[in-house]
Amino acid sequence: MSTVNKAPYLEEAVQPFTPRTAMEEAARCLLCHEPPCSDSCPAGTNPGKFIRSIRFRNVKGAAETIREANVLGGVCARVCPTDKLCEEACSRTGIDRPIEIGRLQRFVTDQEKIFGMEILKKGPAKNKKIACVGSGPVSLACAAALAAAGYQVVIYEQKPEPGGVLTYGIIPSRLPKEVVEQEIGRIKKLGVEFKLGAKIGRDLSLEALKSQFDAVFLGLGLWGGKLPALEGIDLKGVYSAVDYLSQAKDSGGRELAAERAVIIGGGDVAMDCASTAKQLGAKTTIVYRRTLEDAPANAAEVKFVQSLGVGFIFQFTPSKILGKDGKVCGFEAKGTDGESELRLKADQVIFAIGQAPEEILLSEKLELTDKKLIKINDENHSTSLKGVFAAGDAVNGGKTVVQAVAEGKTAAFAIMSYLTGEAK
Amino acid sequence: MALKKDLSINYLGVKFENPFCLSSSPVGSDYDMCAKALEAGWGGIVFKTIGIFIADEVSPRFDIVNKEGHPFVGFKNLEQISDKSVEANLKCIEKIKKNFPHKPMIASVMGSSPEEWKQLAEMVTQAGADIIECNFSCPQMTSHTMGSDVGTNLELVREYSRATSQATKLPVIAKMTPNLTNIEGPALAAIEGGAKSISAINTVKSITSVDTDLFCSVPVVDGKSAIGGYSGAAIKPIALRFIANLAQYDKLKGVEISGIGGIETWRDAVEFLLLGARNLQVTTGIMQYGYRIVEDMISGVSHYMDEKGFNSLEDFIGKALTNLTGADNLNRDYKAPVKINAEACIGCGRCYISCYDAAHQAIDWDGEKRRPAVSDRCVGCHLCLNVCPVQGVILPGEIEFKEGRTKRPVTIKTKYE
Repeated sequence: MSTVNKAPYLEEAVQPFTPRTAMEEAARCLLCHEPPCSDSCPAGTNPGKFIRSIRFRNVKGAAETIREANVLGGVCARVCPTDKLCEEACSRTGIDRPIEIGRLQRFVTDQEKIFGMEILKKGPAKNKKIACVGSGPVSLACAAALAAAGYQVVIYEQKPEPGGVLTYGIIPSRLPKEVVEQEIGRIKKLGVEFKLGAKIGRDLSLEALKSQFDAVFLGLGLWGGKLPALEGIDLKGVYSAVDYLSQAKDSGGRELAAERAVIIGGGDVAMDCASTAKQLGAKTTIVYRRTLEDAPANAAEVKFVQSLGVGFIFQFTPSKILGKDGKVCGFEAKGTDGESELRLKADQVIFAIGQAPEEILLSEKLELTDKKLIKINDENHSTSLKGVFAAGDAVNGGKTVVQAVAEGKTAAFAIMSYLTGEAK
Repeated sequence: MALKKDLSINYLGVKFENPFCLSSSPVGSDYDMCAKALEAGWGGIVFKTIGIFIADEVSPRFDIVNKEGHPFVGFKNLEQISDKSVEANLKCIEKIKKNFPHKPMIASVMGSSPEEWKQLAEMVTQAGADIIECNFSCPQMTSHTMGSDVGTNLELVREYSRATSQATKLPVIAKMTPNLTNIEGPALAAIEGGAKSISAINTVKSITSVDTDLFCSVPVVDGKSAIGGYSGAAIKPIALRFIANLAQYDKLKGVEISGIGGIETWRDAVEFLLLGARNLQVTTGIMQYGYRIVEDMISGVSHYMDEKGFNSLEDFIGKALTNLTGADNLNRDYKAPVKINAEACIGCGRCYISCYDAAHQAIDWDGEKRRPAVSDRCVGCHLCLNVCPVQGVILPGEIEFKEGRTKRPVTIKTKYE
């Protein structure tokens, strides 16, 4: 008999380090010269330095290193694809296995909270106001950097809660709600104001925003779920990943129970959908058109989903969704070999095959790319509208949280140099 | 079948089935403990020090030194001698000898006057002990007539050794303190007083740590602490030095030595034997891991003997002593620059940092490839070799003779683990 992980939906799945086990792990670190892990963090979180601080018994110093570089350090500790970033670069891999950098980062940010540290401080007040549209990672990082420099920042969020994908996307087993709340709490303490339930382009025009603020930052997410044009796609029980995950998180999972769920896709979002479905009690199968090796999902997420007992079927492409009385009752797919056929009983079919920007209706003058993403000047994040900047998923097409943090920071500096340049 | 060599050895005319003994401490302080230890395979027991003085212990009484999360590198204790009555201890010794007649029993004693030493010697002889060990070295005993200060006082050592030796037919060991500059003086005084063997070392006076919130060293006893005895792996280097000093001292030629201090593994044991000890005593390793550690000591020494072709411990006791000389006698004609196996190197750069910050800036660092390269500035100090985390990546290279020195074959260490 094999062991299956029964991790509950609302509980964090990965166990934390204790001070002692954290020290044991830090003692495995080789304390490299010019640490390659540090070079591999898009947000400059500098694991080489913070792990050295743990090793030399300076956890508070470690917390400063993380927090000063990454305002979402506690989030990234949990959701970063470390196996493709810092941990992939880790020299220790040459001996046995990399240092568990993400888990150590989580230890340090947990300790930061236990110590009640307030590392980020509001800078001397500057008489300039910036509006950030959206409250996902990129906006939070941008707003925090601006507020730390003394600027007045207001974040506009269309949803009732702030956090974007952190709040409405990533599953609680990977990222508990409290962690997101704590990180946002720190940003509020920096003086950033949050206006929730306020959709720009509906409740307030971009033009109005521009006139009220010295600069505007667009940190929009990708909330348009992609659904393929298949027979049965309109049946009840068919979801796009973004809708499925946000409904699950909104209701604490209560409203989405199913008997048999089929997830289509091979990325992190597909893994999140699969663990959600499984944790909510459904017999869950992932169907992916390519192989496991080709799947873009983070290895740790794939392992977690496997540990829950989710089944994987590779090299099948969806062909038809079967329905009865307007509801999903089955799923059909064709093998990429051109011969194999698959038919599964299902009452839920969730497509995690990428997200698109919601139709950006902010302004006709805002120039978009062919892919309907916001077009920016790569050097300074400026858009086609003067004083309007953008970064994050709606610019890059959807990347990681840590990438969003990195872009939010550079955009903040671009905005600052725009504002100080303007002042001259 | 698991390999088992004959590890038996005569120490002070008494046959031990192996040289491994409990040292006088809590690990051998009552019948059940000693019985369990002997059944586990220990060769003999040095029973917890018996005195007329009965200890009244503090709580707590220990502290440990950690290194990067690795616990028990060193151990501090504040325990004194036995807290049981002399009668109870003597009964215990009798019972052990009755049930384990072939396992030598060494009775450790401590008096505060020649009269007490005499009395204790007579009592433990009567109880059936095979050997007596005089404890001249417990740092936690606070009077001037008992404890480690006694061990630094030649007069007291000689007098107490005499009082003990004259009161018994049994051979007497004098247990030395390391809390002095030269161990040879008190050791000689003990032999002059009639002792037949020296055991070393007792614990090192220490403060292991200070609680930075309570502003008090540890262990904290009602807000106060005291200097206490340090033991365990951390003190093995100090112990080995004193063992070698004793073994190489002309005036102590022929005096048998019992080695104590940080023995945990068979390798530690062999090191003590190679420097001249013929009996070995252990406490801290047992306090951490239990009596069972003797199994791997017995097995490990057996395999070592098998590899080396030794048939008896006598074949290698003291074998490293001839190669221990004064620093002024070492061959200074050559250097052994290192060679780095760049293929096996994992590119951590630790060798580069240490060589630059602490040695001779003899390693160049290729930041692109993340690889070190040894330059001709290398003096062969081998700091990098010791810092490198990967086995076998940095090793001694070709021997180079200094200018004007005569080339000749030299022996260097090439095997590193």
